[in-house]
Amino acid sequence: MEYILIQFVNGLCQGSIYALMAIGYASIVGVTGLVTFAYGEVMMIGAFAAYYTFQYFADQLLVGILASFAAAACMGFLVYKICYERFFDKPRHISLICTIGFSMLVKNLAQILFGANTKAMPSVIQNFFLDIGPVRINAVQLIIVATVIGLSGALYLLFNKTQAGIRLRAVNQSRQAAALVGINVKRTILFGNCLGCGIGGTAGMLLAIYYQSLSPTIGSTFGNKAFASAVAGGMTSIPWAAGGGVLIGVIENIGTAFLPNSYRDVFAFVFLFIVLLLRPEGLSKKEGIRP
Amino acid sequence: MKTLRKYRWVLICLLLAVALILPQVISSYLAGILCRILLFGTLAGSLNVINGYSGQMNIGHAGFVCIGAYTGAILATRTGVPFVLQLVCGGILASLVAWVLSKPMQRLKGIYLAIITMGFCEITRIISLNWVGLTGGPLGIKNIPAPVFFGVKFNTPERYAYIFLAILVIFTFLTGRVLNSRVGRAWISIREDDLAARSLGVKLGHYRSINLMYGAFFAGVCGAAMGPYYRYIASDMFSMDMSFNILSMVILGGQGTLIGPIVGAAIINTVTEAFRFAQEYRMVLYAVIIIAMMWIRPQGLIGVSNSMLSGRGIVKKRGRGQKNERPA
Repeated sequence: MEYILIQFVNGLCQGSIYALMAIGYASIVGVTGLVTFAYGEVMMIGAFAAYYTFQYFADQLLVGILASFAAAACMGFLVYKICYERFFDKPRHISLICTIGFSMLVKNLAQILFGANTKAMPSVIQNFFLDIGPVRINAVQLIIVATVIGLSGALYLLFNKTQAGIRLRAVNQSRQAAALVGINVKRTILFGNCLGCGIGGTAGMLLAIYYQSLSPTIGSTFGNKAFASAVAGGMTSIPWAAGGGVLIGVIENIGTAFLPNSYRDVFAFVFLFIVLLLRPEGLSKKEGIRP
Repeated sequence: MKTLRKYRWVLICLLLAVALILPQVISSYLAGILCRILLFGTLAGSLNVINGYSGQMNIGHAGFVCIGAYTGAILATRTGVPFVLQLVCGGILASLVAWVLSKPMQRLKGIYLAIITMGFCEITRIISLNWVGLTGGPLGIKNIPAPVFFGVKFNTPERYAYIFLAILVIFTFLTGRVLNSRVGRAWISIREDDLAARSLGVKLGHYRSINLMYGAFFAGVCGAAMGPYYRYIASDMFSMDMSFNILSMVILGGQGTLIGPIVGAAIINTVTEAFRFAQEYRMVLYAVIIIAMMWIRPQGLIGVSNSMLSGRGIVKKRGRGQKNERPA
């Protein structure tokens, strides 16, 4: 019982990172209307940007967050230019396959540039422990959860209180109507895509800190988790995507209490199957366009 | 084009004759490449039946191959049933799994199908990696016996090419017949416009599940044929990378054409083999080819330009102004 409780806390922490990934994913899909498979690689680039920043510049978490956000947002720009810009009116499988190609490109280039072996992520967080009953929480977990909550709050403000956020939501609801009221749709989509990718990059950095390791091939695992969380939440609804992420994190960690750790990825997908079987539209009730 | 159609049978006979003689006159190394081309030709063809003809977005084809491969290998090493039966069993099991999988897929469309198949592929791989008792776990299954026909052991690439060739020919012939039947037309009508197909009485779920099972059957057969060729199978052969490889062959050659995926398999296998000296940059080149193909010719090298797959269909529909802005 205690073990399950510990796993539950671990799951909450990991789930909060998944939630951040899913928020990024949902905002990309919501604004572009196209699904991406390059997201995992974008997250990997974010994690590597943070790694090199920690190595050569500063051992500060905040600097790492900024670096990973910036690097991943630049990747988002590339993804937009290569995979989306020409294909908005085309059938969706074209841009989908483009993102698959792009992710292969980035993954293999990263293997050449950064080396194929696994690297140890430097620990930037002073470690201490908090004992609450039988559960021991370490500083990494606390700070990760705090970072995720802080970023989500900032995003909430961005989406609801600023001009740019309102434009993003308008494009999310209807592209034509947004264009009619004078919103520059293409620029808004580009902005939303870069924003989502930046969030993904930060989440990738946090996950690398959590696992204390990173390699150029982790992208696909990251991407699958983000994809699964976003789909479980209903693809375009940001709060529900975050909820899906937390749920998947918790289910994974509690599942590993019963079955070997290597089955971890199975739980996420089985959960996703069940959600899609019962509610094909995902957990959210949100009406409107979905991909 | 008309002359091509007129001399179609001559052309096919010529190609067959070349394929029959080729393994005898080339080196073992080249025969290995030929084997890969024939194997992946069938695999790409079977994926094309799913993706290209009924428009279901399957990106986890390696899962079916994995099931077929393990079924064949387990039957071969533990029971010693005849080779053909191994192939058929592999195919049948894969298509049974496809039937189960098609149930949740019936209510879903587009990208949701993609994620279901992707999840399926990952789950199959992880289970085959961890079920040590049945699949040998990370070590895989070794020493799969080579098939023997009429006292000849098919243990070299030169000889094995004939088996792959036979599978490819049977597959292409059968698929050609199926596509011209009621079932095949139902598939194509679903791809072009599922709403219209339904209003004309095509049972959507039924035909889509037949479609998935048909594609999965041949993927399973290919998987079962792979084991005795490599003499060894392991779960890391059937990762998402393999699915993406097969998918890119289909895309490159042309979805929705019978010959396209085979051409795609031939081109990609030859190119990746020819650029072996480039080592890591080979995969980079591969990715660039896929992206370039989507930019220049999204319907593939052999694809037709007036179908839904090339992007024309959507534009026409939008011109009439009935669909909302995001095509399904």
